[in-house]
Amino acid sequence: MRKVVVLSGGIGPRWGRWEKLTGREGAALAAKEAIERAGIEPRQIQAIFVGNALAEAEKQGHIGPIIATELGIPEVPTMRIETACASGSSAFREAFVNVAAGIYDVVLVVGVEKVTHIDVITATTYFAYGMDQVYEARNGASFPGVYAAMAVAHMNKYGTTEEQMALVSVKNHTNALYNPKAHFHKKITVEDVLKSRVIAWPLKLYDCSPFSDGAAAVIVTTEEFARKYTDNLVYVIGSGRAGVQMALPERDDLTSIKATTLAAREAYRMAGIEPKDVDFAEVHDCFTIAEIIATEDLGFFKKGEGGKAVEEGLTQIDGKIAINPSGGLKAKGHPVGATGVGQVVEVWEQFNGLAGKRTVPGAEIALTHNVGATGGTVNVHIFRRG
Amino acid sequence: MPEEIELKTHTIKDFLDGVRNGKLLGYRCRNCGYQQVTPMVFCPKCQSGDIESVELKPTGKIISFTIIHVPPESHINDAPYAWVIVELDDGPRVSGWIQFISRPEQIKIGARVRYRRSYLPGMIFELVKEEDKP
Repeated sequence: MRKVVVLSGGIGPRWGRWEKLTGREGAALAAKEAIERAGIEPRQIQAIFVGNALAEAEKQGHIGPIIATELGIPEVPTMRIETACASGSSAFREAFVNVAAGIYDVVLVVGVEKVTHIDVITATTYFAYGMDQVYEARNGASFPGVYAAMAVAHMNKYGTTEEQMALVSVKNHTNALYNPKAHFHKKITVEDVLKSRVIAWPLKLYDCSPFSDGAAAVIVTTEEFARKYTDNLVYVIGSGRAGVQMALPERDDLTSIKATTLAAREAYRMAGIEPKDVDFAEVHDCFTIAEIIATEDLGFFKKGEGGKAVEEGLTQIDGKIAINPSGGLKAKGHPVGATGVGQVVEVWEQFNGLAGKRTVPGAEIALTHNVGATGGTVNVHIFRRG
Repeated sequence: MPEEIELKTHTIKDFLDGVRNGKLLGYRCRNCGYQQVTPMVFCPKCQSGDIESVELKPTGKIISFTIIHVPPESHINDAPYAWVIVELDDGPRVSGWIQFISRPEQIKIGARVRYRRSYLPGMIFELVKEEDKP
């Protein structure tokens, strides 16, 4: 297996509500930024993997060739990859595998989503497509609803509180203040979260990540190719994927996402590190409870102590392990297919001195964690500053 | 011409017809006895491909729940309601919903529920009063 490097990353237009841009334009602009930051020409790219879940919201499928065409390289092979909210990291994983295996030397990964032009009920319905339609959604489950049921189970078993969940939101909103590309630049309080309207009890509006438009792109390549362009290499040292029963009810434990545990184990083993070696992590906080559960399943805190860890400030940028310095899905935004790629962009920016006031001091090892729906797909990647 | 189905077990269409009639169909592994409600052609426990259909008893208890205030399109006129995860007395876990629940005080983990027929979409449960306990 060859060593794999992230040569560059870019977000393109700020995440949020795009009034003028379509998805394909946002995707091309993110890719342009990644290509220019790498210092390469588009024609050096040998393949493009696109993470996208809901292109049909714009009545468009087959978006790979559209992006390649906009980049002036229409002959380059493309593939759109859909694994719900983990689409971006699944596309990244394919790039990693192809470069590691020696199939390609230079791969572009693009994640993109454009959803805010559809109304909230339609968007809620589209998002629910990531669940089992017959056995979950049809029974009245919304996407926040399935995570809310995990939250209730976690509260019941471990005493996790609504205030602890609110603190996740407060922290991520604070981090996003320093991220110019974040959807939200708004400082909030615990009280703001607790008083926001109930979406799926116990989750309130400010416990939920937003519907965002957004794109992200990274160039994945070999160590040899990257050295021609930079001395500051960001190595991909671990990659793990796993799944779990699609329908949440059928799982043995509702307080944990088994696929996270399994994917993390595979990634840690490949990287030859342990959870305590990770300096910061971008985890999948689609809902505040999801961050608490993720920090436990990834091994940063004991099972049931994720809520307490937030309360004690252990997950802040200056804490024991910085969680979501970018602002996370909660405040940086959650443009579904772009989210997992955006996490890698955050790692690349952190390791290249481009993270400004949200920089995690002295960070050498970072982890990204991206979940499709409630964990039917989970991808974990680990990076080391070269 | 309808497709030829060489299926010893029920189809999802059969399951949904059952839901409308208050009948709960599941799958059972004939080798190890494991049962679940979502379709399986191999058993996740023992990997046997010898699967049969079973009708499950409509009673169970709540394992977890949420109260949905912003519903999907299918339940647009029904919110707020509880979406529940139920462990059936026969073993399998399923989801369903309970009408007219708007506050967490109205429902709790461990509460007994019974599945019932309905013209509304999805699987509807109702809370079973203490004296109705089997």
